[in-house]
Amino acid sequence: MNDRTSRDDMMEMVALYALGVLPREEAALVAAFLANDESARAEYFDLRASADALAYSAEEPVDSARSARMKERLLARVRNEPPTGSIARRRIGLNAGWLWAASLATAASILLAISSSVQVSSLQGRLSQASARNGSLSTQVTQAQRESQRDRQMLTDLVSRDARRYEVPQGAVVVRGDRVYFALSKLPALPKGKVYQAWTLPKGAKAVQPSLTFSPNADGVAVVALPVDASKVGAVAVSVEPEGGSKSPTTTPTFVRPIS
Amino acid sequence: MDPGVRMMERVRARDVSAFESLYDAYHRLVFGIGLRMLGDPSMAEDLTQTVFMKIWTAPEAFRGGSFVAWVSRVARNRALDVLRSRAVHPEIAFPADLPLEGALDDDVLAGLDAQRVRDALATLPTEQRGLIELGFFGGVTHQELARRTQTPLGTVKTRIRSGLRRLRETLGEGVSR
Repeated sequence: MNDRTSRDDMMEMVALYALGVLPREEAALVAAFLANDESARAEYFDLRASADALAYSAEEPVDSARSARMKERLLARVRNEPPTGSIARRRIGLNAGWLWAASLATAASILLAISSSVQVSSLQGRLSQASARNGSLSTQVTQAQRESQRDRQMLTDLVSRDARRYEVPQGAVVVRGDRVYFALSKLPALPKGKVYQAWTLPKGAKAVQPSLTFSPNADGVAVVALPVDASKVGAVAVSVEPEGGSKSPTTTPTFVRPIS
Repeated sequence: MDPGVRMMERVRARDVSAFESLYDAYHRLVFGIGLRMLGDPSMAEDLTQTVFMKIWTAPEAFRGGSFVAWVSRVARNRALDVLRSRAVHPEIAFPADLPLEGALDDDVLAGLDAQRVRDALATLPTEQRGLIELGFFGGVTHQELARRTQTPLGTVKTRIRSGLRRLRETLGEGVSR
């Protein structure tokens, strides 16, 4: 496969990304590609304009009774909402609301059974199990929502026009707001037992601090969100380290990039 | 300027009447996206409630650009959350969420309406249109698109790219950046 074909392939992936039909891992890879290619970003913005326009075609007349009911319900909630501040409830969103509705339905059906059965203890056991299962599902939902929010933020940041991009030989370091990402696409494969490790140099410091370790995929691509506040970091670096990471770099850095 | 942008400025100032106007102007769009993606009016209604409550409780999440595009992406992402949560087989791959910003300038989409977009879609070859609509509203990945339409994956990619480009040309200045 030559470079031209490879780029055409990637541009088709960009179209899929603009339409929003790529699974998480491939979406991150395309975002990394876009972070490093200005002309690809230009086409992406064009194609996403088309995808955005598609939403218009979904507009549906809502029958007046439903519309009025929805509005009444919404405004009642709005008027009861505290004027400011964080509202943890709102983070739970639709999934968890439905999950709890399902939980309540389960609990209600079990309670009905209790009233009509002599096997109370057995049903109580089932209720406990249902509660435990619901607790576990709720935790999973919360975790999935956090991951989803993090992914959404990362995908937004990597292609954003107002992101700062710092080129490195293997791709780019992308900074947006207080967030820092590596969008690397030319990382050589490493021997078994070795990983890439990120390092950060706090502003005013003389020694780097260890950050996370990562490995590229088979194509040499890695997208990494660094767990640091960009405003406090003067430079980032990557080196090859033993699996599990090191407390200080043990090899010559793959790159060092000031970001302030 | 997108009228939603002006309304959002007032919503940020906790103006309930502006929020009401925003709802009046955009609830059909949000409800329609929910209905197309979830296939159930009650679920679409819940989704509409969730999206508008998010707008009221976290108006800062809208950081400018086209309000229509933003609220559409919020609705689509929410609908994807619902589809994921009700998946019988959690290992099924779902599309990643759409980025919420970064693509468009203030006046984008301002000249469009539902009929104009439907007319533009109608100009696409059936096979391109079908893939694009199923991809956008179906909440499925490109592999699933290929499977459902029994089309080779490479053909799916090419048709989607060609279709989106052609749609962009047909809509013309209405989606200028």
